[in-house]
Order: sequence, then structure tokens, then C-alpha cells
Amino acid sequence: MLQLTNLTKTYPTPQGPLHVLDGVDLQLAPGESLALMGESGSGKSTLLHLAAGLDTPDRGDVIFEGQSIASLSEPRRAELRRQRLGLVFQQFHLVPSLSVADNLTLQARLAGREDTDWAQYLLARLGLAGLNDRYPEQLSGGQQQRLAIGRALAAKPRLLLADEPTGNLDEAAADQVLDLLRELIEESRCALLMVTHSARVATPLDRCLHLQRGRLAEADP
Amino acid sequence: MKRSTLLLLLATVILAGLGKAFWPQDTSPQAGYAGLGEQASGFAQAGPGHALAFPEDHGPHPGFRIEWWYLTANLESADGRPFGVQWTLFRQALAPETGNNDEASDSPWQDRQLWMAHAALSTPQGHRFAEKFARGMALPAGQGQAGVMAAPFSAWIDDWSLAAVSADAGLDQLTVRAEADDFAYRLALTAQGPLVRHGEDGFSQKSADGQGSMYYSQPFYQVEGTLRLGDEPIVVSGRAWLDREWSSQLLGATQRGWDWFSLHLAGGAKLMAFRLRGGGSEEGDYLSGSWITPQGQVTALGEGSLRLTPVKTDDVASRELPTTWRVEAPDHGLDVTVSAVHPEQWMGTSFPYWEGMVTLQGSHVGEGYLEMTGY
Amino acid sequence: MRPGTASPGVLRTTWLTLFSHYRRHPGQLAMLLLGLWVASALWSGVQAINASARDSYARAETLFSASLDSVTRRDNQPLSLVTYLSLRRAGEPVSPLVEGDLTLSDGTSLRVIGIDPLTLPGESGLARQQSDAASLRDWILPPHRARIAPENADAARADSRLPPLEADPSLPPGTLVTDIGVAQRLLGVETLSRLVVAPEQSLALPPTLVRQSAAALASPGQLTDSFHLNLTAMGLLALIVGLFIVHAALGLALEQRLGMLRTLRALGVPGHTLIIAMALELLLIGLLGAVLGIVSGVVLARLLLPDVAASLDALYDTDVASHLSLPWYYWLGGLAVTLGGLFSAGFGMLWRAARLDILALGKAQAWRARLHRQLRLQAGAGTVLLGVALWLGWRLDHQPNPQELALGFAMVAALLLGASLWLPPLLAGSLGLLSRRLRSHPRLQWALADLQLQLPRLQLPMMALLLALSANLGVGSMVGGFRLTFLDWLDQRLLADMYVRPPEAQYTDVAAWLEGQDEVQALLEARHAEAPRLDAEGQTTGRTLALFGITPAPIMRQSWPLLDTATGHEAAWQALDAGDGAFINEQLAHRDGLAPGDPLHLRSPQGPVMLTVAAIYPDYGNPRGEAVLSASHLTEKFAATPGSLGVVLRPGSRDVAGLQAALRERFGLGGDAVVDQGAVKRTATEIFERTFAITQALNALTLAVAGLALLTTLLAQAGARRAQLAPLWALGVSRRQLIGLQLGQLVSAATGTAVLAIPLGIGLAWALVAVINVAAFGWRLPLHIFPSQIAMTIVLAIFVAALATLLPAWRLWRVPPRQLLQEFAAI
Repeated sequence: MLQLTNLTKTYPTPQGPLHVLDGVDLQLAPGESLALMGESGSGKSTLLHLAAGLDTPDRGDVIFEGQSIASLSEPRRAELRRQRLGLVFQQFHLVPSLSVADNLTLQARLAGREDTDWAQYLLARLGLAGLNDRYPEQLSGGQQQRLAIGRALAAKPRLLLADEPTGNLDEAAADQVLDLLRELIEESRCALLMVTHSARVATPLDRCLHLQRGRLAEADP
Repeated sequence: MKRSTLLLLLATVILAGLGKAFWPQDTSPQAGYAGLGEQASGFAQAGPGHALAFPEDHGPHPGFRIEWWYLTANLESADGRPFGVQWTLFRQALAPETGNNDEASDSPWQDRQLWMAHAALSTPQGHRFAEKFARGMALPAGQGQAGVMAAPFSAWIDDWSLAAVSADAGLDQLTVRAEADDFAYRLALTAQGPLVRHGEDGFSQKSADGQGSMYYSQPFYQVEGTLRLGDEPIVVSGRAWLDREWSSQLLGATQRGWDWFSLHLAGGAKLMAFRLRGGGSEEGDYLSGSWITPQGQVTALGEGSLRLTPVKTDDVASRELPTTWRVEAPDHGLDVTVSAVHPEQWMGTSFPYWEGMVTLQGSHVGEGYLEMTGY
Repeated sequence: MRPGTASPGVLRTTWLTLFSHYRRHPGQLAMLLLGLWVASALWSGVQAINASARDSYARAETLFSASLDSVTRRDNQPLSLVTYLSLRRAGEPVSPLVEGDLTLSDGTSLRVIGIDPLTLPGESGLARQQSDAASLRDWILPPHRARIAPENADAARADSRLPPLEADPSLPPGTLVTDIGVAQRLLGVETLSRLVVAPEQSLALPPTLVRQSAAALASPGQLTDSFHLNLTAMGLLALIVGLFIVHAALGLALEQRLGMLRTLRALGVPGHTLIIAMALELLLIGLLGAVLGIVSGVVLARLLLPDVAASLDALYDTDVASHLSLPWYYWLGGLAVTLGGLFSAGFGMLWRAARLDILALGKAQAWRARLHRQLRLQAGAGTVLLGVALWLGWRLDHQPNPQELALGFAMVAALLLGASLWLPPLLAGSLGLLSRRLRSHPRLQWALADLQLQLPRLQLPMMALLLALSANLGVGSMVGGFRLTFLDWLDQRLLADMYVRPPEAQYTDVAAWLEGQDEVQALLEARHAEAPRLDAEGQTTGRTLALFGITPAPIMRQSWPLLDTATGHEAAWQALDAGDGAFINEQLAHRDGLAPGDPLHLRSPQGPVMLTVAAIYPDYGNPRGEAVLSASHLTEKFAATPGSLGVVLRPGSRDVAGLQAALRERFGLGGDAVVDQGAVKRTATEIFERTFAITQALNALTLAVAGLALLTTLLAQAGARRAQLAPLWALGVSRRQLIGLQLGQLVSAATGTAVLAIPLGIGLAWALVAVINVAAFGWRLPLHIFPSQIAMTIVLAIFVAALATLLPAWRLWRVPPRQLLQEFAAI
């Protein structure tokens, strides 16, 4: 469903061009979960941004469900994100002025398919039931990230892109969040592409790839 | 100092806008020409049997709604150029006298009479005219801005006047003067014959249903005087005709206007003739006139003894005006073509009309004045 | 749904999400609305005053188009009916007029004008053909009719003395026009005030009468333009200060929502949808603010209008309705200016939102680098603007030209804006300098460093404060200086202890009697006349010059102020005495570019007269140009009628009241015919104070707005501040000390602002007295600097800053320690 071909991205720096991604090829099947590991600066976040259509590659293509993302206009890419992708960030990026319930359904409402039952279920599964009317600042870090995952899944995406979702959490909270994430992905038959630097986080996923200096290498799961 | 400047400023401001305010657009059509067909209840009515008395009747009749002193003169300069002069003072009562003054006021401005005057000078090719307005004033005789005194006769508005040269001259010896921006005249009039009473001993019927006016004339004036045309003084002489008429309802409700002739015929006879359009029998025109012998004897003319027929029209002031007529009085052997000396003798005054000198051809030659209103 | 197009649902959700920010931070919304409200209210208030006054002038001017000349008696006494009638009978086309003031039963004063419609010049006879005989009849016959300005119709209807009324919107306010007979009855007179005649008509008048041309009087709109321009500039200043609040509020709202914007973009909201949603938000807030502002502007204008009307009356002799009458475009204009101001302030926000870098999600803000870049930019722009101001100032000082007033305002605008742009860099620089020197005082050093951190948000309210303070100082100096100069000038001009204006018939007798009194030292005769101006070739210029005759007695020579002479004071007075020299007022010199030594060509009844400008004198408060001759020459050459007599008493004999009483009794002189110097001065001073009442009111309001800007900014960032203060508290600084530090921060920032406001205010004062006043009124004032006002500026700044800190400090004081702890928990 997601196919990255010869993906190349270069940033100009005062020290000359920096090849962040250098001909990356990658395939992801529906429902599959994939961990993308790598050091800081290995280009894994850039890859995720390209896959989400937040950025465009210099060369190569991102094909999502048969459609080339790179060739889409900005509004079409936005529509794709709204309708078919879910994004989870290290910094949560909840909307501070919206309540928990409103944050959870934000993307679903933007996508025009709010499903109250599904949202209620997610809130319960994420351990956020009863916190509907709170605001993000009143939640703990783990709660906030669970809410961010819920926001992504509430819109029933086909693919979830997660960027270090546990990076800001302690170990116990991280494990809890990851378990939930895996369970919910399976339940909603959603594919997952997760960027992480932690092997402990990557291990439970179907597949694991390593990104090193802009190139991809198969890694042990 | 500053205050007075302000007052001046302000008042100036206001005044300039008022002309219009006072003469607002009229939405309802006036009855007849210049409102002369309006109902006249409360005013005295002209009728047969009103014996005229002079000099009293030379003066104003405030109980009647309208009145005029109307002088026309056919003149000629020493080099033979024809000129025409008109001098008219109109009086109109705004409301009937009620006897008890509803607002006991000794203000000189408290008066019901309005005065209006027209002066015109017709030249061989052109025509100049001016008009003046004044309100009546409750002042001792002779002191107002405009007015008329019976004896010694004097009619005036501002510096325009028609006045007897002496206290016992009646209307026999008059001086008329008017001055406007682009013309002026001063003429001496000497009557060569008696006053002439029209209609039924001075009652001149104006429509088939009986209303009319008191009407007499002095058609026998010999004129000497000077015209000023621009800066050019012109010595002239000729003949003049004075009409005196008062009424409270001159026109019938359905009458639209009139055509009026005052003609000096070669040989000394005069003809006064008019046609009131509408208001005759079967809503036809109403015809009337006077045949005046050189001695001043009057024969009334009417339907059957007088015919006035438009022959040719001209386009004057965006109107179609009959400037050539056939005038017939078969009993007196008169069959003449009366033609305007030229058509441009339009009076573009508040109540506009055509008034100008005419010449006669046919059974008689002569000259005179034609007035046409309501076109 | 077309692919790629966001549905209305997306827009709605986006908008609601954006707006949820204000639900959580109602203070920011309040600040935004407050900014819009005050900006729009002050601006609309001033505009309402202007629009209302212009409406009054327009009503006057539309009627002006066919203005009439005036005929009065030389001795200013009323005319008799006989005089009028004799003129008419002589063929002169004059029309009588009666005018006077009538007090209605409710106390309103109406100017009653009585006319005779039949002789009134104006419309041609042809127009009268269309007349409605009935309306003329109604006018002339009882119960008559009167036309009245609509404003006064209700009050007038209650008065039973008046005839049936017709409201006439074309009449200037406070005016009633009726038939001349009615006016005479209402005013209780039998005489005529004056006669009028169409300007193109020539008249032959007896020597007792004099004709005054309408063309000699400028229209009120022209005269008062400069006054209204001043008001507009004041309104504009208030608008800008208000928009600073708006700008600050929008900047804050954007900064706090940047994360939200990026999140929304990541969640698939297209960029343009985001912009549309934000623009819609602006529009909604703008409409709300505009409506609030315009409504309060009208209320404000209602409060100020009576003063303005009084000022205009005193300054220019113009009548302005003392209640508002607003045309449709006023409302639309107010809305447009508010929205325009909002969008100009919001443009930056929309621009930044449109160029939002989604990938910057989560990246720390390099605020210091950005601040420095911004400060450099501001300093650059400020330098350019100050350069422009300097150049304009130089240009205006050296070469006067017709667009001076506009250029003068442009200079002031450039000066103020340039200086306010320089404020943040200057503050930042001095903070950096100071904090390096305060290493040994950690708390102070922290306070300074922290103030630097707050600078991006504080800079706008500080700029607003700078503008308000310098305007306050500048206008205050101008008014104060003007007051000094004006009072001084009054003392110099009002030499006589008492002024007598006898009727013409009694003039010689009164003068002789006064000469004979022991206590009278000198009689100063003053006369007025008018003369047409001629050009050098002796051709008519169409302009008329007011001439003023004075008696060049020794006391006059010592005291009468002169600004400039050709060859010294003594020579100037000699020239005046000899009759070949004239003094001209500063207004005339300025408008016509006349200097001492230049010729002045006039037409006198005896033919052309050439005078030499011997001196220029100050003539404050006079809207017109004027020339002074000696009274005897004015009488001789220009047939000036007797005017007033100034009576100078011998030193030591100060019994003014006694002499007044004697004069009144002996000559039967009434009310205004004898006035003492004190009364004249009182009136003049009162007029002066009134004139500047409005200016000072607007000034105070602007300062209040700047204070509000500061307060709202502090309130809006109170939450963020708490997060910054919490660590300090944790480090052991007590809340009392924290509050003290905050107060100190603000007060020192405000003091710095005030220090910059002082030179700026003085510059503004200079611009006002040397450029704006010259262009607007034609007189230049000396620049006065008042140390007390400078001190006041600093006190005001500190007071405003302290006042603005008070509420946030009180709130910090009330915060329980537990809540400060939470600042850590949230991180």
C-alpha cells in the first residue's frame, strides 16, 4: 500500500549539500507494521515527512495506494493526510484549547466522518474515559500521547505514521502506550510506519529497517 | 464686528436658496392661464349694470381678484423703423377682503395685494422685456413699492410708472416710463379721443355662461418720446392704446387662453377683438369685440359679426403660435390679414405669453397689437 | 466533493478549533476587541464631529453659490422702511431683510430671518412661472409660514408665537426663515436689518449707505479645513495607538497558536483553508469591534460636539449644529477604517500563517536571533523615516509651498513613526548594556534579561506609550506656549482701559466729551473698512482686504507688537503715520508671501492706492488677512466709518466703572457700546481655552489608550509569565520580590520610553508651532519648553506603567504556591 522508490532528499548546508535520503526503496503491505530505526540525523524523520506528504522529495516517489504523492498538489496532499493517514508525534501536538474529547475527534471531524461509538471506544481503551472535559495541559505525558494516538485512529486511517511516539515518556508509560498502539492497529487493520531509535520499541513490530546515512538496511527484528 | 460678519454671512447663505423655496414646483395644474379661471368666491363679481365712474375707476378695485393697466404703443423712429412698447401693471388679490382683519396688525407688510409689472420693447428684429414684483403694503396712498392712485392718476412699481402729467388731466395726458438692464423708454401720451367702454356699457362678457370683466379703453393716444436700446437713444412717435380691466373671474373653468387684438385702422377707426378658446356655446371659442369709430362710438361685435381665423403659425419658444390671422367684421367692411411684424415677440416672464406689434393688409391697412396667451 | 478542495465542514472545524483558543484565553479576545474598540471609537468620534460640521457647512455652502451682497447703514444702525422704499422707487433692486435672535420657550436660541419673497433676488423669472401661487399666498397671508432647520423643528413647534412650520433640511442649523412682517413681529422691531442685492447688480447708493460684497467672505468650509485637519490628525493618532493594541493582541494570539496551526496542517487542513478561517475570524472580530467602536464614537462625539461647535464659532464665526447629523458614508467609512486597520494589523499574522513551515513542528523557537533580526530591521526603517522627517522639516523651513499643511502632517507622522520604531532597539540596547554591568546583582540582572525576553511583546504597547507621551508633551507645549504668547499679545493689543462704540451720530460728541475728561490720557480711535485688492498692473484681483485703522499714539507705538519691519520700528511707525505705509498681519504675509518693503495695491473710493508694507504684526485668532493703517488715513482714503474709541486713563486714575457710568448716562449708551478691558480679555481667554479643550480631551484619551495597551498586553501574557516566574520562585525569590521585580521592570521600561518621548515631544511641539500652525492658521509661535511638562511626562509614564502592572501583580499575589508548582508539572 505504501511504496517508496528511490527516495532522495538533499538539504543545502554551509558545508555543502547534505544527502539526508539517498535512494531509499521501501514497501509496506496493508496492515503491516514497520519500525524504522536509525541514529539522530539518519534521515528517518525526513522519510516520515515525505511519506506524510508534509514535504516533497528531490527525486524518487512516494506511492500510497497506487497514487503518487509527490505529484499531488498541496491541497490534495492535505486531503490525503486528512482522509487516509494518521500522524503521531513525539511532542504530542494536541490543541491546547480543545478538550480531550474534541482533540480526539478533531481529525475525524476534519475528515468528515466522526464516529461517536468508535471515539467512545477509543477513549475507554486508551484509559481516558471520564477525562472528556479536561484540557491537554491537565493530562500526564502518557495520557497526552495516548490521546494523540486516539486522535490519529479516530479518523480510521489506512496508515499510521508515528515519529518517536514514546520519546517523551518514561519506560512504563512508553510500554503501555506501545501495547495499546499495537492492539489498536490490529483491531482497526491499519498499517503502521514508526520511526524510533529504540530497539525495545521496534522489536514487537512485524518488520524493522535501519536507516544509515540516508540508505536503508534490513535489520534484525 | 465679528458677530455682524457672521449674521451677514449666514443670512446671505439662506437667502440665495430661497428663491426656489418660494416658487416651488406646482404639481396641480392651475385653472386656466395663470390661474385666471380659479373659483373666485368672496370676491366682488363683475356684471352688467355696474356703472363706470371716473376718475374713481382709474384707481384699483381691491374687492376684485385681478386688475390691470395695460398700455401698448406702435411707434416709429425718425428713420422709419417700427418699434413697439408694452407697459403693464397687474394687481392680484391673494384673498378676498373679509372686513374684519383676522390679525389686527398695523404692520405695513400685512396686505393681500400682489403687484406684477411687465415692460417690453419690440424692435424691428428683436424683443426685450422685463418684469417686476411687489407686495401691497398697508401704507398711506402713494407710498408703497407699487400701487395706483385714481386722481391725480398714477400707477407705479419701483421706478416704472404710468402717470398723469397734472392733477386734472385724468387719463388724457400721461407719461410712461420703464427702465430695465437692456432697454428703457419714456413716452408722453396725449389722448385724441374719448374713453371707450366695451361690451354692455363697460361689462365685457367673457364666456357663454356669463362671467366677464369690467373693461374700458383709451385707444386714441398720440405718442412722442424716447427709447433707449442698449446705450442708443431713439426718438420715436406713434400711437398707443390703454386697456383697463378688472374682474374676479376672467376665464371660465374650461377656457385655456385667449387671442386679443387692438388695431388702429387707417382712417382713424379702431378694432378691439378677442377670442377665448373654449367656454363658448357648445364648448367652442367665445368671440367678442368692439368696433370703434374715429369719434369713439362703439359697436359691440360678437358671434356672427366677427371672425378671427388663424392663417399661419410659427414656432416660437417651443410653441406653435398663430402669427398671421384673418380678421373679419363684415358689418363694417373689414377683412384684413393681421401679421406679426416678426414672430420673436415672446414674453418669457413668470406667466409667459406672446405680445407684439402687428400690421394689417387687406380691406384696411393699419397697425396694432396682438396678445396670445395659454399656448 | 471535488478532490483537493476542502469542504465547508473542514473550514468549520478549522475555524472552531482556531477560535477555541479565545475560549480558553478570553483575555486575549477582550484585548483585541478593546484595541479595536478604542481605536475605532476615537477615530469615529472625531470623524462624526467632522462629518457633522461639514454637513453644516455644506448646507451653508450650497446656498452660498448665489450669494447676495449686503447694503447697510454706515453707522450700523437699522434701516427704515422709508429708506428701503425710496431705494426701490429709485429703481434699485434691493430686497429688505430682518434678522435677529429669538429665544424659544424651551430656551433654544433661533436666528430668525425675515424676507420679502417678491423682491428677493435669486431665481430668474422663468423659475417663478412654475410657482405655486398657493404657497406664496400661505407665506404672505396669516397665519403665514416659516421654514426651519430640521434640528430645531421640534423645539420650535412647541412655541405658540411661531407660524406653522415647514422643516427645510437645506437651512443651516438654528435658523428660521419667515415672512418679513412675521419676523418683525417676532423680534419686536419695525426696522430692517439690512438690504440685499444680487452681486451682479450695480447700485447707486446715498452716502449714508454702504454695500458689502458677499465675495469678500470666504466660505466656512475653507476657513475651517485646517481645524478639521487637526482633529483628523488627532483621530488618526488615536487610531494608530489603538491599532498597536490590536497588533499586539493578534501577534500574541498567533504566537500562541503557531503549534495549533502546524498541527492542523499536519492533520490535513490545506493552507488556504487555514488562511480563510483566520481571515473570517478577523472579519468577525472586526465587525464586532467596529460596531462597538462606531456606537461609542457617536456617544463620544455627542459629548465633545458642543465644545467643538463653540470653538468653531469663536474661531471662524461658523455655525455648527450642536447635535450630530451623520450621512450614510460616515457609518460605512467608520466600518471600512476599522476593518482596514484590523486587516493591516492582521496582515502580518495571515502572512506568517500562510508561510507556516509545518516541518518546524516541535522545533524550539530561536527567539533571540529573530528578535535581533527584527530589531535591526526596525532600526533601519526608523532611520529611514527619521531621515524623511528631517528632510521634510528642512524643506518646510526653507521653502514654503501650498501643500505645507499636508507635508507638515507627513513630517510629524514620519517623525513619530520613525522614533517609535527606534524605541525597541534602543530599549534592547540599553538593557543589554545594563545587564552586563549588573553581574554582581543577580536579581537585577535576571530582571533585565527577563525584560529583554518580554520585549517582543512589550514593544508595541511601549511604542503606543511613546506616541501618546510625546503627543501629550508636544501638544501640551504648543498649547502652553500659545497661551503665554496669546495672553502677552492680548496685553499688548488691549492698551486702552475701556472701549466705547458710540452710534455714528454721537461719535464726535462722545469723542469730544472724553477728550475733556481729566482722567483720560489718550483716545485711541479704531476704524474698519474694506478695499478691493489690485495687482501690480492695477487690475482687480477679485479679493477684498479688511482694513483696520489704529491711532499711532505714543502708548500704541510702545506696546503694539511687531514681528518684522523693513527698517526698524521707529521707521515703520513713521511710515504708518505718514500714510504711505501699512502694517499687515502675519496671516496675510504668509498667505500672499508678502514681506516688509513689498507694495500693497488697493482700490479706494478715490482710485488706486499703493501702500508699502512697513511691518508685520501677529494677529492670533483672526482667520482673515488684514492690514493696519492709521485711523485718520483710513478715514480719509477709504471712507471708513467711525468705529470704536479706546480710552486710556491716566496712571493713577483707575475709576473705569465711574467713567463708564458717566458715559452711559450722558449719552444713553446701551449694553455693548461700552466695555472695559477686563471683559474683552475674559472673553478672549475663554474662547482660547475652549478652542483647545477638544485637543486636550483627545490627548488625554490617547494616553489612556496607551495605558490600556500596556495593561492588556501584561494581562494577556500573565499565564506565560507565570511559567517564567515559577522557577525563580522555586529558587527562593519571594512573591513579594517577584512583584517588585515586575513593577521595576515595567517602570524602568516606561521611564526609558519617557526619556525618548521628551526629545520627540519637543520635536513635535516645534513641528506644531513652526509648521502646522503656520500652514493651518497663518501664524507662527515661539517654541516654549516647560520643564514642568517634561517632569509630568515622566511621572505620567511611570504612573501608567505602575497602573498597568497593578492588576497582573495583584493576580500573581493571589496565586497559591500550588499553582506555581504546576508550572513545573506541565513541562
